[in-house]
Amino acid sequence: MLVLMLEDIRKLVKRTLDGGKVDGVLALWRENGRVGPHLFVKGDDVSTLEIDPKYNLAAVAILALASGAKKIALIGRGCDERALVELFKRYQIDEDAIEFIGMACSAEQAQACECDIPYPTKIQFGEKVDGVVPNELKNVDDMSLDERFAYWRDVFAKCIKCYGCKNACPVCVCQDCVLEDPMWVKKGEIPPEFPMFHLIRAYHMADRCVQCHECEEACPMDIPLTLLYRQLRQDMKDLFDYLPGASDAKPPLTTVLEDEKLEEGA
Amino acid sequence: MTFEPNILAFCCNWCSYAAADLAGIGRMDQPTNIKIVRVMCSGRVKPEFVIKALSDGVDGVLILGCHIGDCHYVTGNHRTMKRFQVLERLLEHIGIDPRRIRLDWASAAEAEPFSNMIREFTEQIRELGPNPYAGSYA
Amino acid sequence: MSYESVLTTCPYCGCGCQFYLQVVNGNIVGVVPDKTHPIAEGALCIKGWNAHVFVQREDRLHKPLIKENGEFREAEWDEALDLVAEKLGEIKEKHGPDALATLCSAKCTNEENYLLQKLTRATIGTNNVDHCARLCHASTVTGLAHAFGSGAMTNSVPEIDDSDVILITGSNTIEQHPLIGSRMVKARERGAKIILIDPRRVPMRLFSDLYLQFIPGTDVAWLNGMMHVILKEKLHDKKYIKERTEGFEAFEKVVKKYDPKTVEKICGIPANLLEEAARMFAKAERGSIFYSMGITQHITGTDNVKSVANLAMLTGNVGKRAAGVNPLRGQNNVQGACDMGALPNVYPGYQAVANEDAAKKFEKAWGTKLSREPGLTIVEISNAARKGDVKGMYIVGENPMISDPDIEHVRQGLEALDFLVVQDIFMTETAALADVVLPASSYAEKEGTFTATDRRVQRVRKAIEPVGESREDWKIVIDIAKRLGGKGCDFESPAEIMDELASLAPIYGGVSFDRLDAGEDLLWPVKEPGHAGTEFLHEGQFTRGKGVFSPIEFREADELPDKEYPYILTTGRLMFQYHTGTMTRRTPALESESPNPFVEVNPEDAKELGIKNGDWLEVSSRRGSIKIQSRVANIVGKGVVFIPFHYAEAAANVLTNPALDPDSKIPELKVCAVAMKPLPK
Ligand code: SF4
Ligand code: SF4
Ligand code: SF4
Ligand code: FES
Repeated sequence: MLVLMLEDIRKLVKRTLDGGKVDGVLALWRENGRVGPHLFVKGDDVSTLEIDPKYNLAAVAILALASGAKKIALIGRGCDERALVELFKRYQIDEDAIEFIGMACSAEQAQACECDIPYPTKIQFGEKVDGVVPNELKNVDDMSLDERFAYWRDVFAKCIKCYGCKNACPVCVCQDCVLEDPMWVKKGEIPPEFPMFHLIRAYHMADRCVQCHECEEACPMDIPLTLLYRQLRQDMKDLFDYLPGASDAKPPLTTVLEDEKLEEGA
Repeated sequence: MTFEPNILAFCCNWCSYAAADLAGIGRMDQPTNIKIVRVMCSGRVKPEFVIKALSDGVDGVLILGCHIGDCHYVTGNHRTMKRFQVLERLLEHIGIDPRRIRLDWASAAEAEPFSNMIREFTEQIRELGPNPYAGSYA
Repeated sequence: MSYESVLTTCPYCGCGCQFYLQVVNGNIVGVVPDKTHPIAEGALCIKGWNAHVFVQREDRLHKPLIKENGEFREAEWDEALDLVAEKLGEIKEKHGPDALATLCSAKCTNEENYLLQKLTRATIGTNNVDHCARLCHASTVTGLAHAFGSGAMTNSVPEIDDSDVILITGSNTIEQHPLIGSRMVKARERGAKIILIDPRRVPMRLFSDLYLQFIPGTDVAWLNGMMHVILKEKLHDKKYIKERTEGFEAFEKVVKKYDPKTVEKICGIPANLLEEAARMFAKAERGSIFYSMGITQHITGTDNVKSVANLAMLTGNVGKRAAGVNPLRGQNNVQGACDMGALPNVYPGYQAVANEDAAKKFEKAWGTKLSREPGLTIVEISNAARKGDVKGMYIVGENPMISDPDIEHVRQGLEALDFLVVQDIFMTETAALADVVLPASSYAEKEGTFTATDRRVQRVRKAIEPVGESREDWKIVIDIAKRLGGKGCDFESPAEIMDELASLAPIYGGVSFDRLDAGEDLLWPVKEPGHAGTEFLHEGQFTRGKGVFSPIEFREADELPDKEYPYILTTGRLMFQYHTGTMTRRTPALESESPNPFVEVNPEDAKELGIKNGDWLEVSSRRGSIKIQSRVANIVGKGVVFIPFHYAEAAANVLTNPALDPDSKIPELKVCAVAMKPLPK
């Protein structure tokens, strides 16, 4: 089935390129025996197109557009779509510059990412499967405060300050990152100060993390970053009925809405 | 030796800082272990400020601003309030007792409520004991 | 309008991570890690993430430079190349080929190193060719070649996943080989044990089951001590020793003398901890040892390496998966540069120049007479230059003015030369002393291969055209060789160079660009085109036949602390900088993390000196002195200080001792005696 889906996607990409409405199609391709991002342009051999492994292409789209392309199509998953939405909202990408072609993830992929929403809102390929709740989520929930602190302290002791989590994240778009400001995080220390480094990053992700898992995949130490970010995502939902990556809502932490009612007293 | 908590309070220039002043002038009974940082609005208090204080060993952090509707910059404290709620939960997720931080409002005239609140918070921190979260990896 | 994603290999460390350079309209703007790469697995360290930043820096060398009246002026390529050929030719004519020497580069590709050693041997006619491996793993090459018959990592990096006990010594793996360090930490989470034995409490201490701190320079003693315990408690692998090794009896006799109490006095390791470490390692089904410059950079470097080999053989841990002896090679292509014969005593593929058959083979292939006389090593070249025996040098991509011991002597040597040509991508401290500087291209501007620390041959691919008028190193070498009348240098591409190398070096026999471009993982030896490569070495039989035990007595370091110079200085590197800083110091994200040199001082010593963290000190040795800020931290032990060698403004190598290991000629960069004086505030 997957093979058929892949063939269909390749055909669609060819049609899209031939149609001439876009300057290119951002997807994955197999070259030199490995799979990575590629901007297909008219005339390219689409039989090299691949859909696995998962690479979040939203961040790559910024680069592809920086080359001067006016409009590109992007073959992506649920997390690509959500990341794009956040990037549109934050004026990083012009919404009209992207034609999103969505595919739903397989059950295996959803499991691999422990993804809560393994499909985009627009599904052109594949079939929707259920979201996954990581076992570890319950584990940390069940811990006492002290146990939890010890848990995270140990986990973050592994951090080698590669900034991979920041670099790989499609919605980490600040030019000057707080994590690099010596005011907040001491320079040159490995592991970096706990809890500063990781709490700051977590906080900054609260209203934008789209659970694409790129940070965790980029982490050489397999630190379960998305566990923490996922809890925050849930908080945003509970507190403000806001889910990052959902198209209509504005990020609540930096805006005050006209009709917002805040009760007095904290 | 009894534990004397080390507390940091971010006070808004337009209200709580004045309340603190007033409390001082009125010689109200106040704990001495509180250090006040004047900010122009509670909205200036980035979560980084609070996390840094805890990370550096401060035992408790207060953020004090104008009452909702009275912010000198209209909606600064709206944001403070929203951010504070997220921060509280974040601390809890990572295992830091959220009772070590507190957000409250005080007008420039509320010297007595101000002193009461400080006393109350100091007592709470005293019960919680010294900050166990600071320090690098040994 | 162009956006490209070019798969290539990281130019920093020997881990050999691959990533995609992100190229937008001819500018490299970022990297994306390769999720399908066996080492990187989608991750990188901070250096890899920033590996694109220095490439298109403003201050890259754009044009050849010729020095006139002490000042550089820009020149055209032809003029510069003609001058280089003329001067090198003249020296050869007047003083013979041995008056010339070349330094290859562990940063350049295999193909470039192959060509440069070929130019040195075939066109110039001397074996005076060396490179910085002399300063890092020369003793590994001699020590392991002696014990096993091959001086490379016995195992591949992914095998770490299956090790039971990982013994790490003299390697700050998390900082220097991050993607190997991370693998070890993850292996531990799956149940492996880690034993860390190091003079510094490096970050790996947080993940070790046992940590043993010892006095720098006493490696042989504790290694013998561990083996003493293993023998005493009969934990050695008798069957393995009998079937696969020789020299055991003589070795056993020596080791008997090193009981843990005696060792404690020499090394400062509590006897009970040493015993525990010995048991833990000996009982492992798969025990692997990882080491680096902490073992090699001593006058006893070869002894240290042989002792490590002894320990591995004693416990039957060589020639099997996930075990072995694993010297972690520092530079991205230091393994490759050695493989290419950028060493004074061997042709490509470790075929000795003194071996008549090997020499004949290369004479036939290269169509010229070759010298049977092994050439000079780095420190020897610099000594010979000072004495006037070496008169001309061609240095490619190395910066001995920071990296070599006793910099003052290095300077004198380079200044005494009649002619020095330096080929590099930036104006380095060494290039500043040159008569001609040739602008080379970086890894992102050329095709070729690097060989990672685990013998993994990988492609480097061109992402952009060489900046300015700079040229690929391999093209420059060919240009010079041709002007010197060299034969056999009509290569159109690096792929052709690899083909010639493969035909001459059996360990690369089956390596080709085609295979690499098809995505094959090739770890040498790759004997022929159909051969899949070799995951771990010495299976069933050692490369040399039987493994050799060596009886090694402990010898003290060349220079010990005394009244006048009471501290031991040890040197090393940091996570955020790289070697002489030519690339990292031009990368803001890296430089901003560790912008300043420092001397790491134990809190107790700091107290005695009456200094606080950040105070300035004058650190001096018998060779020179530097002014440097202190960093007081419980990382080095009492009586020991550490200085990273990256910084020209307070270069550790002003202080270090150039005393050499007699076998491998590696200098003792890890131990010398220094004095410290607080400077007035
Ligand atoms: S924080 Fe991690 S999971 Fe969330 S958007 Fe960024 S990369 Fe994706
Ligand atoms: S990716 Fe992992 S190791 Fe790197 S900075 Fe983030 S948490 Fe630390
Ligand atoms: S671990 Fe080494 S090879 Fe990998 S990214 Fe870092 S410096 Fe480059
Ligand atoms: S001015 Fe007081 S809270 Fe904004």
